Amino acid sequence: MRTFLILSALCALAACKRGPAAEPADKVASRAARILPADARLAGLYRASCQNCHGHPESGAPPAGYAFAWAPRLAQGGDVLLAHTIGGYNGMPAGGQCFACTAADYRQLIAFMSAAPDAAAAAGEKP
Amino acid sequence: MATRRGLLAAATGGVALAGAGAFDAVVARARDAGPAEPPDTDAQGRLLWRNWSGNQTAYPAARLAPATEDALASSLKTAAGPVRVVGAGHSFTALIPTDGTLVSLDAMTGLAGHDDAALTATVRTGTRLGALGPALAEIGQEMLTLPDINKQALGGALGTATHGTGETLQAIHGSVTAFRLVTARGEVMDLSATQNPDLFHASLVGLGGFGVITQATLQNRKLTRIKKRVYAMPTRDALAAWPQLKRAHRNCELYIVPFTDTTAVIAGDATDEPVQPRGPDTDTDALMQMKMLRDAFWAVPALRKFIGRTAMRQIPESLAIDDGWKLLSNERPVRFNEMEYHLPAEAQAETALAVLDAVERLRPDVFFPFELRSIAPDEAWLSPFYQRASGSVAVHAYYKNDYSFLFDVVEPIFRKAGGRPHWGKLNSLQAADFAALYPRFKDAAAVRKQLDPDGKLLNPYLRKVFGDV
Repeated sequence: MRTFLILSALCALAACKRGPAAEPADKVASRAARILPADARLAGLYRASCQNCHGHPESGAPPAGYAFAWAPRLAQGGDVLLAHTIGGYNGMPAGGQCFACTAADYRQLIAFMSAAPDAAAAAGEKP
Repeated sequence: MATRRGLLAAATGGVALAGAGAFDAVVARARDAGPAEPPDTDAQGRLLWRNWSGNQTAYPAARLAPATEDALASSLKTAAGPVRVVGAGHSFTALIPTDGTLVSLDAMTGLAGHDDAALTATVRTGTRLGALGPALAEIGQEMLTLPDINKQALGGALGTATHGTGETLQAIHGSVTAFRLVTARGEVMDLSATQNPDLFHASLVGLGGFGVITQATLQNRKLTRIKKRVYAMPTRDALAAWPQLKRAHRNCELYIVPFTDTTAVIAGDATDEPVQPRGPDTDTDALMQMKMLRDAFWAVPALRKFIGRTAMRQIPESLAIDDGWKLLSNERPVRFNEMEYHLPAEAQAETALAVLDAVERLRPDVFFPFELRSIAPDEAWLSPFYQRASGSVAVHAYYKNDYSFLFDVVEPIFRKAGGRPHWGKLNSLQAADFAALYPRFKDAAAVRKQLDPDGKLLNPYLRKVFGDV
């Protein structure tokens, strides 16, 4: 039942008939290691903290730019994801170990990391 | 993968045989409910700060992230105390919580310079160790030692005497030849073993209580490839062989897996053999299978041990060859709380065995491995390795589980053996205890007071540590 609800919420959130597709692991890892937020200040925060896990899929964290891994998380809603970020959740340490971040920064960083590759490019993904 | 399947099959069969497993699993779910979650903000709207494991929390009134030493110095003069500098928040002790000012050095990262001939690099201390590995590799260098986890900031690693393993290898701070300290009054001081040696040795492992170390010059070595082997041994055989193992390998550590009679030996040595990259992480799966085994056979310890031993002994030897910074540290996505004491090297194996016996007798909830490492002596006054060859024993508790046994069961054994606690890991010691364990503790506390007479850098925990209450 829970899986069904999550999938339903995912489809509703994505406003489309199907969710993001899985991708080859090497492609996911390569992209996660190199993309950065377009905004310089946000990129600094990301590089200093989030990237240490979300830039390395072997960490177990959902890789940056890999929408497939983020979809079930986004399906829980932005407020839940923010709360999990601030307080920590499972393998995710509190604050993502970014203690210079504000709540607004967390929201922007989540949006950056969870964006699909084309959206990440539109958001200023750097090659 | 074959081992994992084998363990799962064995455990499943065991549940059917034991009959008690289902009930135990229900109890385990209640046990793993975890501590209550703190609110995201306090009544004043201040954002939660929480450490990696989740056992320390605070709602700082102000958060600063200076990008330069000048900005930091200026901020320190006016910031409301207690002023605490945070790295990655990997300490389990209450070093960081403050309702005053939290300072992050995340905007002060990367290399400030390097010397190819001397194989040194000056590193801004907001740099996370995981980012430092590739940065040093680009200039053909690597750190002399690395801890098991590399998410920490360099500043936090130095301030808490974070260490790796190797009988001839000092903790990370042992490779520091010079550093820059910004005091609570905004003074900027360049310190080295020859320039202000007393200040250097007093404040190098300084818990953030002497000032803020903004950059440190590390004595590194040429980028080296290592050959890392991991294999299983019966625990008592591994402990008996430990003196030979730690001498035979540049890096060596033991992971004693409780309730399995089995220990993983992890050995690393320099090599010029061709690269064999490490495979996908299997430690996390193995760890959670130990948890599953605990949950299923809580009430049947003999069966738990039989299955655990059988599964662990099936694990084939693994081998990886790559640059050291890629192999020495590991991903640890399952959070935990931890107590680690640094013992006289000759007491390490015996103490570990005593802890193992006590835990297996009294605490069937434990499933994380114990970690045994070696650390060479150094001269920092507050280093747990001060003038003493040390063997560390670390005991972990799943982050959702009660960890009071670390104080009730484990710590008395460590203390009886003359252990000095890791500064970032759980312990119950206070100023008088530290004064008895550290020959230069009172000297260091006096230096600290001289640098920060108003105690601006002390939170309530550090006031107890330094006896400044």
